Amino acid sequence: MLSLGKQTVSNCAKVTRRGLLQVGGLGVLGLGLGDLLRLEAQERGTSGQAKSIILLWLWGGPSHLDTFDLKPKAPTEYRGPYRPVSTSVPGIQVCELLPQLAQRADKYAILRSLHSSSNDHGIAGTIGLTGADFGATSLSGQVLPGELLPTHGSIASKVFGFEPTLPRFVTVGGFLHQGHKRITGETGGSLGSLHDPFRLDYDAEQGVKIPQFELIDGVTPSGLDDRASLRSALNQLSRSIDRSQAFGQLDQFYQQAYSLLTSRNAHEVFDLTQEPEALRTRYGRYRFGQCCLLARRLVETGVRFVQVNWSSHVEPVEDTGDGGWDMHDRHFQQFQDRHAWMLDQAASALLDDLAQRGLLDETIVVAVGEFGRTPKINAKAGRDHWEQCYSGIVAGGGLRGGQVIGESDHRAEYPVSRPLTPADLFATALHQIGIATTQLTAAGLTPRGQVIEELV
Amino acid sequence: MSRLAILLTCLLLTRSLCADSPSFVRLTDDGHFKQRPAWSPDGETFVFARHQGATIFLYLRDLDGVERRLTEGKYSEYDAVFSPDGQRLLFSFNKASPNQGDIEVYSIASDGSDLQPVAVTREKLSHEEWPCWSPDGKRIAYTSTRDGNQELYTSLPDGSDEKRLTSDPAIDAHPAWSPDGTRIAFATNRWGDLEIATVDPAGKNLTRLTESAGLDDYPAWSPDGKRLAFTSNRDGNFEIYVAAGDGSQPRNATGHPAIDNFPTWSPEGRLTLVSNRDGGFDIFVAAASGE
Repeated sequence: MLSLGKQTVSNCAKVTRRGLLQVGGLGVLGLGLGDLLRLEAQERGTSGQAKSIILLWLWGGPSHLDTFDLKPKAPTEYRGPYRPVSTSVPGIQVCELLPQLAQRADKYAILRSLHSSSNDHGIAGTIGLTGADFGATSLSGQVLPGELLPTHGSIASKVFGFEPTLPRFVTVGGFLHQGHKRITGETGGSLGSLHDPFRLDYDAEQGVKIPQFELIDGVTPSGLDDRASLRSALNQLSRSIDRSQAFGQLDQFYQQAYSLLTSRNAHEVFDLTQEPEALRTRYGRYRFGQCCLLARRLVETGVRFVQVNWSSHVEPVEDTGDGGWDMHDRHFQQFQDRHAWMLDQAASALLDDLAQRGLLDETIVVAVGEFGRTPKINAKAGRDHWEQCYSGIVAGGGLRGGQVIGESDHRAEYPVSRPLTPADLFATALHQIGIATTQLTAAGLTPRGQVIEELV
Repeated sequence: MSRLAILLTCLLLTRSLCADSPSFVRLTDDGHFKQRPAWSPDGETFVFARHQGATIFLYLRDLDGVERRLTEGKYSEYDAVFSPDGQRLLFSFNKASPNQGDIEVYSIASDGSDLQPVAVTREKLSHEEWPCWSPDGKRIAYTSTRDGNQELYTSLPDGSDEKRLTSDPAIDAHPAWSPDGTRIAFATNRWGDLEIATVDPAGKNLTRLTESAGLDDYPAWSPDGKRLAFTSNRDGNFEIYVAAGDGSQPRNATGHPAIDNFPTWSPEGRLTLVSNRDGGFDIFVAAASGE
């Protein structure tokens, strides 16, 4: 077992220092973007209509009544202060605070009858990210029975096969927490740590961050942009590993990360300064906006599953978090002043950018949290956890947009038609990128959820 | 000519302003999200909340750009406003996070000393927020959820003699006391989405001022009380509208595709706001008074 940066790896293979340098050299001088694209083309024959999935993980649980399932005729204590507005699709309305997404409603489907089985962030998060609560950890620390399942991105990594120079699965954002405790369900689970996500993040002041390499002083994507600094970084890494008793246990996962970081082509993927300033501004000059832009660059390069975490903590900044959606109090002020327009701007820019590059037809975009929020406004002008009914949107990848699937009751408390689970949503998305029952079974996994036929 | 006017004249001469928004000058330039700016009565200083990383702290900034934190606290603080004599500030203070917050209104001297609780609820979690002063400084208004819903309250500046002004299942928020002392404007969704209304200081004479297909929020009286600025998305984007004091003749005072929010006025009547028109969120002031 080797703990390097924030990534812990196991099932290790021995790698020598010379071998390590060779791996790095291959990244620099060997496989390039053209090779990767060629490999992708060969693979496409066995894949579904889409190639990639971008999951915008709205951690903390957005209010469905204030986003995609407004109930203007509900009593004042339920409906909230916002009005629904018409969209580009006749008959479909969303919140007035999502005007840009309203104009793009033809591009996505709204699922209004999602439901989960827990109102604990940790458990519902595991359900949302794996399809089941096996091995989930509650706020109180209780671990639910069963073997933790791999998260959706890890399934993509497993089925499409390990790629030495490019991760199949990237998470943009930190580890997910509730109550400042890490949750389970965002790793390879039973598939092993080889299929854990490669992690990136974005900081407004530092740019793209690579937690795996935080161990090495001064190494940043921009710091690897010339041969001298690259050589220095290689030597620094090698020396640090030589000193480590665990050197011989470096595994494939780390080789991949190492190769990725030392490959000029891949390295350039991280460099958001290569994007036009206007486009960066279009995505939004805030963390989530720039992370969405990074997600587009990653799928463009061939990453099959990118999970963009809205935040690492469910809690808002006001509650010592980092801006999550768990707004038990001051809900409307926070939603109105920050969350709504941030989601509206970044998600709209992502859809536009993918479409303009011809990538939307082959890239599925999902925006969803682990649950919704209580339809009845609480005594602190907030909304609490509500797993009985919530909404999400799914776009692109050949899935049918411009429709609403499922319906909630007059207070958005319970589904009244077509109840759907997170497992159904991701069974559909994975199916669309070519991961169906056959592929899952071959990977040793039990299929979960039903493909939502209205979408495919 | 006030120091702010002189500064703005200099800025106008030396800065090239955005072609599509020629009438506003940027006062901050860090781009971090900001919330509720408010001017000191002498127009020499403004206070605002800056969101940076996992913090929300209050800052005082003078016209030379010199800045300091208002408090030394470690928890979130925001929505500060100067007393009419400029000696003290009221602000909201999230003193019990984590645990889903216990927000209270505190008072502090403008030099950062003498921190005092003002509007607090001790027996349960509640939120006392968005304080404002009466024009004579003898009472304050704020919102509280202590009775199970967000309502308007007034009290003496030390928190005593509290009076509840509204009682409606809707959300009542963001009170602003009129300069003549006769009305308190606030945002409410009792008629559907958020609209601006007024009540008198006794909680009587509820009057609806706006009726728009869109959100109207954050009312702010001009110093002469003849105009009322507020945030509205009635045209599909967050803009600052300015209406007559009775809500009539609203007009879009910003007209920019960026987000414009949190309106306030300088003592000499220059509209001030938070906008991301230059990319990040900064504080802008109108180059001309009356705008």
